[in-house]
Amino acid sequence: MKRRQPYWEEVKVGEELPGFSLQINERRMYLQASGTQDWYPLHFDRDFARQAGHPDIFMNTGFMQAALVRVITDWMGDEGFLKKLYFEMRRQQRPGDLMVCKGRVVAKYVQDGQHIVECEVWAENEREGVTTPGRAWVVLPSRQGADDTG
Amino acid sequence: MARYDIEEVRRRFIGLEFAESRGRYPVEHDPIRRHCHMVEDMNPLFLDPDYARRSRWGAVICPPSGWLAMYFASLGPWPPVFEPLLPVVPTPGKRIVNMAQEVEWFDVIRVGDHLSVKRRIADIYQKPISIDPEAVWVVSESIIRNQEGKVVCVVRNTLLFHRTPEEVAAAQEGKEA
Repeated sequence: MKRRQPYWEEVKVGEELPGFSLQINERRMYLQASGTQDWYPLHFDRDFARQAGHPDIFMNTGFMQAALVRVITDWMGDEGFLKKLYFEMRRQQRPGDLMVCKGRVVAKYVQDGQHIVECEVWAENEREGVTTPGRAWVVLPSRQGADDTG
Repeated sequence: MARYDIEEVRRRFIGLEFAESRGRYPVEHDPIRRHCHMVEDMNPLFLDPDYARRSRWGAVICPPSGWLAMYFASLGPWPPVFEPLLPVVPTPGKRIVNMAQEVEWFDVIRVGDHLSVKRRIADIYQKPISIDPEAVWVVSESIIRNQEGKVVCVVRNTLLFHRTPEEVAAAQEGKEA
């Protein structure tokens, strides 16, 4: 069954992307290492992390990027194309946190024939608020056609 | 101990380019599946070959993650092979934290593609952080192409190199001695 497809004309500035939440726990740390193939001990070795000056191990960039990408790709449908993503690793998601990932449409415009929707995306938790702010530029199909990827 | 000269490091390393290198293997299903598993991503474009074949993309595609693109364009963590990358930049600290990433996409990556990457150092600067007043930030740019030579994405990554609190304290004691 085909997934829901948003069209550029129907998207409203201020609209929220559905998002999702994930529990950060020991199992998630292992999934992170498997999914990113990042074996830098900062993300699974508590002694190493504390010696480096961090309070605990925390989720890595590949994991956080995958989560922000999922916020976008869950929403943009099969025809959407993520044109650009920028994000910052400002604070940490650590074991024990409930990571909540969200997004919001902040602008829409046509540029070089592409129907673009600009979104804020971010991850947050109760302990630190927004940990990973980002911005995404998405090309959506238009009801008028004549739209494509980059 | 010699003083760390950030201006000299900037002169020597900003703009440094590395030879283009090719991924160890073509893009495969299972690393994509593992990548999806960690964030409970059920997108059939990434996981279901039959569904993806009927989509506009014609095949299973990678989630648009610069991290995953870099993985497929590199040799990966095993067997261990030295890939000349950012550690060539001398820094007072050897602990690393990734601070920011920007990924610009020009095409999707499909299972079966074979990626290559050309990297360069775009910027180096010093900016203090709470645990190290002499932390060094290194910005790299990686251009990732598919087997047809088409640029699929450009990844701009900012890495922070810092010292441990013990190393900072030892350096401070050395200065005061």
